[in-house]
Amino acid sequence: MASRLAVSPVVHGLVWQPWDDVYIVYQPSSTETHVFNETTALILKCLEQGPLAIEGIKDWAEAALGVAHGELATADFAFATARLQELGLIECLDETAAPE
Amino acid sequence: MIVGDLSLRELGKQLGAAGLAIQFGPFNLTIRSNLESFASLAHRLYEPYPLPGPGEIADFHVGIASPRGLRRWVRRQASFTLDGQSPFAPYTVEHAFPALEWGINWCVATRAHHLLMLHSAGIERNGLAMLFPASPGDGKSTLCTALIHSGWRLMSDEFGLVRPEDGMLLPLPRLIPLKNESIDVIRRFRPEAIIGPAFLGTRKGTVAHVRPPAESIRRAQEAARPRWFVFPRWIANAPLALEPMPKSRAFLMVATNAFNYEVLDETAFRLVAEMVRTSDCYSLSYSDLDEAVAALDELSNAVDG
Repeated sequence: MASRLAVSPVVHGLVWQPWDDVYIVYQPSSTETHVFNETTALILKCLEQGPLAIEGIKDWAEAALGVAHGELATADFAFATARLQELGLIECLDETAAPE
Repeated sequence: MIVGDLSLRELGKQLGAAGLAIQFGPFNLTIRSNLESFASLAHRLYEPYPLPGPGEIADFHVGIASPRGLRRWVRRQASFTLDGQSPFAPYTVEHAFPALEWGINWCVATRAHHLLMLHSAGIERNGLAMLFPASPGDGKSTLCTALIHSGWRLMSDEFGLVRPEDGMLLPLPRLIPLKNESIDVIRRFRPEAIIGPAFLGTRKGTVAHVRPPAESIRRAQEAARPRWFVFPRWIANAPLALEPMPKSRAFLMVATNAFNYEVLDETAFRLVAEMVRTSDCYSLSYSDLDEAVAALDELSNAVDG
């Protein structure tokens, strides 16, 4: 079964302020303000709609970024998801490892 | 009634008894002092500031006085007090006036959490405010002093006080502490500016206080709508450069420079975001005050036009 990611249960009511290709996000549950690039922000926005398999998120992000399938570098995608997990904003629902 | 309506003798009596009640923008204070040198300087520099009406409550009870006990005999010192407590080590008595001024700023910065407090100077023209968030040494006080002697109204040299209910900027037109070379720069730029004595060797170097124009103090209850963020930086011999700044960067600089962004949580985020969204944001490098004033006048004129 493919690994699925989801927004952490404690995360709700995120407040978004997009400017150019930078997204500033306020997280009420931690009172933190985050600054994300477009890729990271799109992954989080995607997961706000519900849990999704990693491949599905990447496809969604590529479509939202307007790049061809497979054009979003795996390393960039993995870095963004790892960062979101590190911040406690998203989590892996399955026991399989997070994307590399 | 204003401080200037009191004789020096009356002022001294009030300072030495229940305290001088004085209004600085949205704050009422009582100031107590048993120092003669402080009284004469306060009489001169606080002259246009209003006295609160009868029955108005003081937000802060502050004082600057000789400490009790052995210390007063060993070395002449002055202690800043808030509600009778001394939060800081005593100052040499010659620095009593700047010590009180810093102490009042400290009171505001640590207690006025009903407002969002940006670390920023602010000026106003035609109801629109220009904010100068900056780090110490970037020249915001010098620039702000030049502008308020060139047709702008002083909102504050130190605090961008934002009212959460409507995002309006509240004035706090207190004395402006110029430091080191800035003192002579302003003396040359506007010889008519009212500047107090230079205090040498303070914890921040040489400091002298500029009294804001009477008009700024008289209009200290008139809020203004934030319209511009300008991030100034004085650089020796640099040509003038006023350049648009990305809003995301402006947001981060404003938020990280606020005194109580973390305290106000989401309210602070929304206020800063709204202010930045509705303001034009610029970085400004300058070395010549005349050029800088002309460039900022131009921003205001463009809106008026």
